[in-house]
Amino acid sequence: MRSRTVPQRGLNFEYLMWLFTRLSGLGMYILALVGVVSALVMGARTQMDMATLMRWTFMPNPSHVASSDIVNLDAWANAFWQIMGMLIVFFAGTHGLNGLRVVIEDYIGSTWLRPVLRGLIFLIWLFMIIVAVYVILAS
Amino acid sequence: MQVTLKIFRYDPEKDKKPHYDAFKMEAEPTDRVLDLLEKAKGYQDGTISFRRSCAHGVCGSDAMRINGMNRLACKTLVQDLGVNKITVEPILGLPILKDLIVDMEPFFDNYRAVTPYFINDEPAPAKERLQSPEDRERFDDTTKCILCGACTTSCPSFWANDQYLGPSAIVNAHRFIFDSRDKGAAERLAVLNDLFGVYRCHTIFNCTLACPREIQITQAIGEVKKAIATGKLD
Repeated sequence: MRSRTVPQRGLNFEYLMWLFTRLSGLGMYILALVGVVSALVMGARTQMDMATLMRWTFMPNPSHVASSDIVNLDAWANAFWQIMGMLIVFFAGTHGLNGLRVVIEDYIGSTWLRPVLRGLIFLIWLFMIIVAVYVILAS
Repeated sequence: MQVTLKIFRYDPEKDKKPHYDAFKMEAEPTDRVLDLLEKAKGYQDGTISFRRSCAHGVCGSDAMRINGMNRLACKTLVQDLGVNKITVEPILGLPILKDLIVDMEPFFDNYRAVTPYFINDEPAPAKERLQSPEDRERFDDTTKCILCGACTTSCPSFWANDQYLGPSAIVNAHRFIFDSRDKGAAERLAVLNDLFGVYRCHTIFNCTLACPREIQITQAIGEVKKAIATGKLD
C-alpha cells in the first residue's frame, strides 16, 4: 500500500487545544510520578504521612513538607521544584479550564453569551496562573 | 400477542403541543415495528405520518426513536424489544414537521459540507481507476452508511448545536478521505478541523450504538482526528 499524506493542514486553536489536552494529560502523570518518586527517595517513606505525600505529589511546594517530620527542607525547596510546581499548575489549570471551555462550545450556541463566557474562562485562567506563580515563588 | 403502540403525535396546523396516541393491536413476535405502524395507519388512524420507503433497511427513511433508542422501524422486530408496550417517537435534534417526520435539511446541509463525493481531477484512465483489495478495505466500513440519521440524532453534541457536522457527515467524509483514488482529502479535513468539525465529538459512542448498519462510527471519527493530527491517510 503506498503512503498517502495530506500536505497542508491548518493549525488552528481548536486543534492545538485538542492536542494540548492529550499531551497535558500525559504530562501530569509524568510530573506526578516524578514528584512522588523523588519524595520517597528524599525521605518521605519514613518521615511523611500519606496525605502529605499526596499533597506534595500534586503540588510540590515546601509548605507541604513543613508539616511532616522532615527537618532539612533544602532538597524540597529549590528552583527545580518551583518549576515543577508551575508546570503542574499550568498543565492542570489549562487542561481543566479548557475542558470547561469545550463544554461551553458544545452547549452555548452562537449568542452573545459565548464570547462572554469564553472571556470569563480566560480571565479565571489568567488569575489562577498569576496567583499560583506568586504563591510558588513566595514560598 | 397483544401490543400497545404509543405514537408521538404533533400536527403543527392543529396542535399547540405534542401528545401521544396509543393503539392496541394483535401482533406476531416477528412483526416489525414498521408493520405495526402500517397497521395503525391503515386500520385505526389514517392521519399518522411517518417516512418509509424500501422497508428493508436499505433506504434509511424510517429512522425513529423506538423505546428510547434510535433504530430503523423496518429492522426492529417486536420480539427484539422484549416488551409489549412500544413507544415510537421522532429522532431528536431536528425540527418536527408532523408526527414522526422531521426536517432532515440541517442534517443534509452538514452532509453536503464535507463534499461527500469522489474528487479527482486527474484524467481518468481508459478503463477504470484500479484499487487494490487492501486499499478498498481501508474504508469499507464507512461505505455502508445509508444516511438514515440515527447516529447524528443520537449525539448530544448535535442536539446541543446542529452546526456540529455530526457523526454521519464525518462517516461520509471518512469514506472518501481514506479512498486511495480520491484527491479531496485536504479540503475535507480542513472542514473537519474546525470548531464544529471533529472536536465536538467526545467519544460517548451513542452513534456507534445507534447505527443500524453497525458501522464503527466513533472509530471512524477517531481515524479522521488522527489524519488531521498526523497528515497520514493510511
